[in-house]
Amino acid sequence: MYSLNKDLSNRIKDVNTDLSNRFNSIFNKDKDRLRNFIQSNVGMILTLEKLTGSELEDIKIRGGLVGVDGSNNRMGGSYPHYIEAFQAMAKSTIRMNEPIFVSRVYTPLLDERIQNNLDTDEEIPEENKDSILAGLEVEAAIEAVKRLNPHIVLMDGGLIRYNIYAAEKWQELMLLCIEKDILLAGVIKDIKTSIIGDELKRSFKDINGILYDRELLYGLLNYGEYIPIGEDVNKKERKGYTSAFIRSSLLPMVIGLDILNEQGQYLEYISRLVLSLTPENSRGVPLWLDIVDKEVKISDDMLKALLERYLDRGIYQRFFVSERDKRS
Amino acid sequence: MKVVGITTQQEFFIGSKDRNFRINEFLIIQDPFQGDLLGEVVEAKTFNRYIPLNIYGDFVDNAVLESLKALGYDVDEDTIYICKVRLINEALYPVETGSDARLPKFEEVKDFMVRTYPEEGFVLGVIRNTDDMAFEMDEELKGILHTFEDGVLKEQRELPYIMDVKSMHHYPHIGIFGGSGSGKSFGLRVLLEEVMLKDIPTIVLDPHFEMDFSTIQSHFEDRKEIFKQKFKCLQVGSHVGVKFEDLRSGDLKNLLDAASPLTDAMNNVVDIIFRKKESYTSFSNRLKMLSEAQEAGSSGEIENRIRNAKNDDEKRAWEERRNMYQTYDKTCPYSSVRGVLWRLNRLYNEGIFSKDSREIESSLLDSKLVVIQGSTRILQVYSTYLLNTLYHRRRDYKDALYKQLPAEFFPPFLVVTDEAHNFAPKGYDSPSKSIIKEIAQEGRKYGVFLTLATQRPTLLDETVTAQLNTKFIFRTVRASDIDTIKEETDITFEEAKRLPYLRTGDVFISSAVVGRTIFARIRAAYSTSPHTLNPFDELWNKSKEDDDRYYDIIMKKLPISEVDMLNVIQEIEKEEGITLTLGRLEDKLQSLAKKQYIKKEETFLGYRYIKV
Ligand SMILES: Nc1ncnc2c1ncn2[C@@H]1O[C@H](COP(=O)(O)OP(=O)(O)O)[C@@H](O)[C@H]1O
Ligand SMILES: [Mg+2]
Repeated sequence: MYSLNKDLSNRIKDVNTDLSNRFNSIFNKDKDRLRNFIQSNVGMILTLEKLTGSELEDIKIRGGLVGVDGSNNRMGGSYPHYIEAFQAMAKSTIRMNEPIFVSRVYTPLLDERIQNNLDTDEEIPEENKDSILAGLEVEAAIEAVKRLNPHIVLMDGGLIRYNIYAAEKWQELMLLCIEKDILLAGVIKDIKTSIIGDELKRSFKDINGILYDRELLYGLLNYGEYIPIGEDVNKKERKGYTSAFIRSSLLPMVIGLDILNEQGQYLEYISRLVLSLTPENSRGVPLWLDIVDKEVKISDDMLKALLERYLDRGIYQRFFVSERDKRS
Repeated sequence: MKVVGITTQQEFFIGSKDRNFRINEFLIIQDPFQGDLLGEVVEAKTFNRYIPLNIYGDFVDNAVLESLKALGYDVDEDTIYICKVRLINEALYPVETGSDARLPKFEEVKDFMVRTYPEEGFVLGVIRNTDDMAFEMDEELKGILHTFEDGVLKEQRELPYIMDVKSMHHYPHIGIFGGSGSGKSFGLRVLLEEVMLKDIPTIVLDPHFEMDFSTIQSHFEDRKEIFKQKFKCLQVGSHVGVKFEDLRSGDLKNLLDAASPLTDAMNNVVDIIFRKKESYTSFSNRLKMLSEAQEAGSSGEIENRIRNAKNDDEKRAWEERRNMYQTYDKTCPYSSVRGVLWRLNRLYNEGIFSKDSREIESSLLDSKLVVIQGSTRILQVYSTYLLNTLYHRRRDYKDALYKQLPAEFFPPFLVVTDEAHNFAPKGYDSPSKSIIKEIAQEGRKYGVFLTLATQRPTLLDETVTAQLNTKFIFRTVRASDIDTIKEETDITFEEAKRLPYLRTGDVFISSAVVGRTIFARIRAAYSTSPHTLNPFDELWNKSKEDDDRYYDIIMKKLPISEVDMLNVIQEIEKEEGITLTLGRLEDKLQSLAKKQYIKKEETFLGYRYIKV
């Protein structure tokens, strides 16, 4: 048993009260009102059919589906004595196509920018990590597009991220896909947008604070329903993408989907594919992305085994074993 | 195939994408630092990380799998195969993870698998899961046996399991364990066939009346003559027994005790009254006279009877009783005398004293296999005497040789018994136990070997069990027996776990010679058990036989009318020597009519039976 701190539990109860007040005050638990608002201000709520057998077969014939995901893990102590491994993978549903891996290893100890500037105790920005990972994922995707010529490329996560962290390569990938008629899409498990909330705020001036789409859409759509988001409401920085929310499993949460504007007419098609590949009792992510995620993941054990095997013992101990590790 | 995960010097895992491992199969691990290492698969598993599809706690429905399949991806193909391997010899360092593994060539495992050639060993079966290397083996090892699997006779595909006969000199005793129906008796049969082919003198105690080798599987018809000459089935009482005159007082006491336990006082009675070389009649008469005298009550009363005797014979008889009484009454209490007499009678009625054991001895001298049949109880009694006699003859011969004295040759021999826990039970004494124990402990010196089969190893005397050097362990379900087996053999934890699931005829052979356990299947026997007939078939065949017999007799008499019946009965009695009652003849006629062999028809004189 944990010893319960009464004060802590009370504070958690307060959070609960505050959050539920916030929602109840806005919608009075009236699902239909919100659905109507969305239909007239954000996008139609439509029902998706799963792809038929022959439509799926058709995808295979046209080169199959490639899922792309990345993973990173680090080992060691605090800055700069750690080592971080990154890898991205593009895996095709056509089994004879070998998965494509690209990887990188980073340690601040060998980062010239830092080494040249030794007196700053500043850790390199988080951004660096994001750009390494995003860059690797796009590289893997480009490689897959070039080598495997798939019909569809499904990225794990929203597409904006690549504009931000791997702009140049991303541009290359987009052009390649458009040129080769390869559909490029991203599936977002954790939607962080506030598109509906922003519309609400525009209409109801008394609402304040940010209202996230995941909160609003929770339980609002039925299984198999989706909302293609109107171009005008898709935010400025999302320019270039056509997006949708999809209730793709029996659980009440909703996922997001981005595709290129140039391929906007395939939004429903890709949404149907997502629905077809998502287990009913899952949290809404297409199984293919889960499979890729599982395979690309760099686990603690794996990283440790790799370091122990390929670093000299002295080097490993001197640079990367933290006090905490030694104790355990 | 590669070594994966954490390894030790003894054990590790090997994974493969396309080869499903089989338990007890051998693999060579190519360790880059330690060279080739030989290991055995002790556990085999398949694994699919997507099936049951539970990724991050999500359950995957079939529709999604089908969709993925349509997209070209069949998750079934993600199955990987993993096995746990144990090295035959411990390595110096933990095996290098990532080392390649491969199947061994026959030459590389030959020493572990085939220690001897068919001419010098018992060809008992095949070593399971060795088909991959069997094609490379020496020609002399190929095609030497068949297996019987799922009701079909199969050609040999695997390495043979050949038990080295000569090593029995060092490791003489064999145990055969397994639950009922696990294949013990069948295994024993195969072993005995090999024993016969090698001309080893053997005594088999057969409480189930099943060790007969005269019926040969049709496929092996050519072996028929071989076995016919090499074994003899003898029943205690009908064919063999004890020659009373040959008994020593110790033997007699053993026999009586086996009939029913003797008290000290009864032992004493035998010591006092029994005379060497005495006949059964004489010994039993003297006991009777003594007991009758004791019944009379006193010397005075006996004198009385002598005086009042009606004739000389009676007088003489009572005089003899008086002498007995005077010599023995003090030392031999009446109840003990009665006790001995009762036991003696019991043995006599079982026919034990009506025959002798010459035939057994001469058959052993002819290197034959002698099967001795009788109920468990009779065998307990008889084997006590027989084994003592035979063992001591062999021992005396060897001892005399050693002392360079002249001696009559007596051959080394094998003693085989099923239900061994009845002959050497744990926890209490039984007459046969002491001789079996003696052979277990000392037999090696004299060339007397035991093969003991039992379905209850837990009930077998532990000193005896400890002396069994080679153990055949068939399917065993009972937990207490599995525990005993774990204690008494070197089978591994993983093997013990498999015991309840072994198929009939599959067996772990744990042998002191090999120093490890071999997983084998007993070969198809050449001969068949006389009990292979299903008991129901047997019943029906019997009644069919009966029908046929009566059919012939009755056909000759048809038509038979109601009023003729008595005449027909008399005629049958006269001609065939069979007496039928009216009712029984009616029954027969009705049953034949029912089976439509004959027909019943009504006439104005009542009914009658006619030909169809
Ligand atoms: N190695 C074997 N190959 C084929 N059949 C077998 C084998 N061993 C046993 N059987 C069959 O299985 C049944 C039971 O075998 P049995 O030897 O009588 O068992 P147990 O003596 O252990 O009770 C018999 O019908 C026998 O023919
Ligand atoms: Mg049996």
